[in-house]
Amino acid sequence: MSEKIYACLLRLFPAGFREAHGEEALQLFRDRARHETGFLLRVRLWFDLLADLVISIPREYHRAQPALIGAAHQHLDGAPTFFVLGNESPRAGALVSGCVLSLAALSMFSILLGRLGSYRPQRASVAQQQSAGDAQRSTARVGAQRSGGTGENARLGTSPVRQFPAPGAAGSGQYYERRDASQPNPPARENAQILEAQSQPARDPNTIVVRPADPNLDPTERRRVTDAVANNIRAHYFDPGVGRKMAETLLEREKRGDYNVVTDGDAFARLLTRQMRDVSQDKHLEVVYSENRLPERPLAPTPDVMARYREELQQGNCTFEKVEILPHNIGYLKLNSFPDPAICQSTAKAAMASLNHADAIIFDLRDNRGGFAGMVLLISSYLFDHPEYMYDPRFAPTPESWTSSPVPGNQLADKPVYVLTSSTTISAAEQFCYDLKMLKRATLVGETTHGSAHSGVWYRIDDHFGMGVPETKTINPYAKSDWEGIGVEPDVRVQPGDALVTSEKLAENKLRQK
Amino acid sequence: MPKRKLDPLPSAAFQILLALAGEDLHGYGIMRQVEEQSEGRIRLGPGTLYSSVQTLLEAKFIEEVDAREDAKLGHERRRYYRLTAGGRKLARSEADRLADLLRVARTKKIFRGEYV
Repeated sequence: MSEKIYACLLRLFPAGFREAHGEEALQLFRDRARHETGFLLRVRLWFDLLADLVISIPREYHRAQPALIGAAHQHLDGAPTFFVLGNESPRAGALVSGCVLSLAALSMFSILLGRLGSYRPQRASVAQQQSAGDAQRSTARVGAQRSGGTGENARLGTSPVRQFPAPGAAGSGQYYERRDASQPNPPARENAQILEAQSQPARDPNTIVVRPADPNLDPTERRRVTDAVANNIRAHYFDPGVGRKMAETLLEREKRGDYNVVTDGDAFARLLTRQMRDVSQDKHLEVVYSENRLPERPLAPTPDVMARYREELQQGNCTFEKVEILPHNIGYLKLNSFPDPAICQSTAKAAMASLNHADAIIFDLRDNRGGFAGMVLLISSYLFDHPEYMYDPRFAPTPESWTSSPVPGNQLADKPVYVLTSSTTISAAEQFCYDLKMLKRATLVGETTHGSAHSGVWYRIDDHFGMGVPETKTINPYAKSDWEGIGVEPDVRVQPGDALVTSEKLAENKLRQK
Repeated sequence: MPKRKLDPLPSAAFQILLALAGEDLHGYGIMRQVEEQSEGRIRLGPGTLYSSVQTLLEAKFIEEVDAREDAKLGHERRRYYRLTAGGRKLARSEADRLADLLRVARTKKIFRGEYV
């Protein structure tokens, strides 16, 4: 048996070697096998043989090369030349196994192709409809795919309960409930955020709610959606002038028959999104298509859901995955969401207190999918010695938009801060990054963040279409645009896997300079 | 080509030359002899062994002698190899070179006591 195995392995050598010494090599193997019996000796024998193969096979092929080098002199300019490495014709067995392998590879390829196709049918049709070279279009498309956490979830068919911002769940920072205009400063601002990821139909005379649609986009449905979108932006967009202009543009195009070629819901949603953004330059505007039915009567968090959320958070230590002191007295906090401060305040305070004596602090937000602005403020409060405005594109400034610094007994206000980022640093986590970067309070290490501000209010249009409309104009004190669709750039760009080591080095150097 | 491969002389090739210095041997015999003369440190695998044998054959430092049986190993006929005059000369010059090196090493006192 083992002789057969070795005979097979010998075939790895070039034909020349096998002809000259193949039989002898096999004979040598037999001699050794006969004399080296017992488990340990056998293991040693095979170890020797394998090591020998690894070393000598490349050498033997290298030895075969000079013949080719000689042949290369015959090469004529422009004429392709071919060399035969082996001087024997392939064995029948080799031909058969070659055929089987190619067939297997081919069928694997076609199966994969089929599977990929069925995952994203809309993408394929959109690709056909959209011209390839249009840069602005593709930007809009990326924006649409990135921002719509609700839409993505709905496309994936998650249930309303799953869409609840569970600790660390994907895309937990999403659209919030529409606020009543008569209540300028909503009492339960965080409660509104609990509703993120849940679509809330605005029962408002200005909002058009049409009857359930056929998933195949027919002209009637298309017109209904266009009308509803136009009405929603006219009624709810914070800048009425721009809202009107967008609505007119859409209606005009619909009338002109521009949309007649679009028969795919997802493509249509993205087309409308792009056209609205073209007019308003506002990346928070978005129309979302969901293949699955969008929940109709969501979704005030029932006590049941609230209890589950609370329990999940408490079981998972409020997503404070790691709180520790690294070498050189560097504090390290890995936080995987910004959980509801109403539930997790004490956990957050305990975590920050345990890092109080650190000389520098690293916030690891590489897996942080967002959450509550209140928690962003609570944690940021430890990083300043005076109240600081934490800009949030979702809300106009209120007294709660300032950190409650200084925190009594806190010693972290002047310590160097590093924030680790990745492309899965999302929403509220991006707010934390953005504000600390703009305030020059932290060094961001890692990748550009995800690029989801989620600052629109969600309107359900029908079973398959919904849209996000920003209703409040928030003034960004730092720049024209926030991180919607573009993400927050790191100060030190490294692979997420290297971010921790890099930040530790940066912190060490900084501490040494002191 | 083979000559260039043997300059500097690879350790495996030198060991084979030394193994054949005493008597004509077949492949397995060479392997055992090398193992013995290196006090078990070197066990030439078939690939390395025959690759070196081929190179030495091509450079005419060793030659094949008529195949015959080895009574100790059964009735299989085996190819035996013999050191040529050129091979012996090569082995000697390699040994001289190493002896020179050894002398230098001694004068630099890099050995522990027992070798000096």
